[in-house]
Amino acid sequence: MPGRRVLVSGMGGELGSLVASLLESEPWVGSLVGIDADPPRRRLRRAVFHRIDPSDRERIVDVVTSFDPHVVIHLAVWEPDARVGTTPARRYTSECTAAVLGAAAECPSLESIVVRSGIEVYGRRRHSLTRPDESAPVDPTSEFGKMLADLERVAVSVGARVGVPVGTLRLAPVLGPHVPSPLGRLLRQPVVPFSVLADPPFVVIRESDAAAAVIAAAQRRVDEPINVVAPGAVTALQAILRGRRVPLPLVGPEWSIARRMSHLLGAPVPDHVMEVVHRGRLADGSHAAEVLGVVAASTTPEVIDRLYAWETVVRVPRPIAVVA
Amino acid sequence: MTNVIDLPRRAAATAATAAATAATVTLRTLVHRNSVDDWGRDQHLVNVLSPLLGMRWHVSVGGIDHLPARAGALLVTNERHLSYSALYVSWALGRASGRAVRFVGRPDNAPFGPLLRRIGALLDDPIEVRGALRHGELVVVATRAVSHLRHAGPVDPELVGAAVAAGVGVHPVASMSTMFGRAARAEVGPAVMPRRQRRGPLAEIELAEATQRHLQKMLDGLGGLQTGVAPIDWLGEG
Repeated sequence: MPGRRVLVSGMGGELGSLVASLLESEPWVGSLVGIDADPPRRRLRRAVFHRIDPSDRERIVDVVTSFDPHVVIHLAVWEPDARVGTTPARRYTSECTAAVLGAAAECPSLESIVVRSGIEVYGRRRHSLTRPDESAPVDPTSEFGKMLADLERVAVSVGARVGVPVGTLRLAPVLGPHVPSPLGRLLRQPVVPFSVLADPPFVVIRESDAAAAVIAAAQRRVDEPINVVAPGAVTALQAILRGRRVPLPLVGPEWSIARRMSHLLGAPVPDHVMEVVHRGRLADGSHAAEVLGVVAASTTPEVIDRLYAWETVVRVPRPIAVVA
Repeated sequence: MTNVIDLPRRAAATAATAAATAATVTLRTLVHRNSVDDWGRDQHLVNVLSPLLGMRWHVSVGGIDHLPARAGALLVTNERHLSYSALYVSWALGRASGRAVRFVGRPDNAPFGPLLRRIGALLDDPIEVRGALRHGELVVVATRAVSHLRHAGPVDPELVGAAVAAGVGVHPVASMSTMFGRAARAEVGPAVMPRRQRRGPLAEIELAEATQRHLQKMLDGLGGLQTGVAPIDWLGEG
């Protein structure tokens, strides 16, 4: 199936840029168009990029329908406190999802849709499964989880209406030195709070592994939800110690103060990150290997190590001279 | 004539920073940085707690060769009130087999829920148990608690159904301990075979009943408690 037209929404983000650069070297991709509010973070040679505000639905619809894609990869998801706050993140994600998927439904050549979701959709309510697989019920307990659950619902309904497969990739928190992530930012602070009574384990995924899963899902016309997580797990305390940060044990009420302090220091802690710290976040990613044929190259501890391998600030020492 | 003197730059280390650094270094030696598995079990913590568990229970294990080498299996053990048989059976079988053995029955409240998860506990949820069994894990579940030492209570058919759905064997594990001494036993039996193949929910109901019967036979075969102290044996019999 060479010569496919592929549309990537959210091409300006770290994950979108990486997906676009990988798609450029795929033999089955004929032409590639991207949409985002921000320009791509990588140099792209074949892709045509349109910088459009998420609220400009008319222009998004115009670009998508005139391109008439075979495959739509919808990555335009704003994680709260990653690049914008929770309220604008919810609005941008909702507006962009409605515009892109709505326009995709009008395209006669459309063959499949791939959307970026997250394992936050399973929620961390009391007695929720420790390690949910794709058959576990969607029951989000955080704002980001609810946003992703809404996105999945819209994508599945669009797919059902126009009769195309919809692959939903439920990614673990995507971490990397250059990925804007509230969890990554929190872990890279010099002093990192953790829940001393719980310290539950969580999983993450490296951005390159997530991008490889997106490419495989687009190529294989996946029509089901799939968890994409790195093998292994770490607890917050283990991550802090791996990064040689100072752990700050907290019990309960002082968390509200710690959150405010962290926000003031430039690392806001949204509710889905609080869930990770208090209740953990694991998921069963074994189905991805069967369906997508890709296995995460980096384990969760390796992704955490890579997060810390990047210097926070590169200081250039200045010689101090005193005239006697 | 002037002389230029280069002063050495010195990091300003306050007492608080030094204390925090010392605490971090101590933590690094106590907390293993890569010991949590996909289900949240921390082998390092299990190793640290093993001597404490050994102070409470001295478990003699038998029938370990009945356990599958790599595949998953549901291990059903009898439970007397407050005996925590699932905990010591999973710990003892883990030590004897060299595999991570999990057990069912953790609360989902801090601090006990997270602590038990770190030593291998799962929620009392058939879907959670099925997931673990599908990934080749050994999972210990307890029967309904009874008051007598050598009576096997009813087995939850929903948890047995998890093993049926995952396509793994169900093994009875006769366990015996007393509240007054360390001596304990855990005897693994062969996988229970259903008398007839069922397609519907009768499969797990009949298999649960068969497991209870096998468990009771094994308990009858074990005989009474023998700690060497007659009053303890008499009290232990309930």
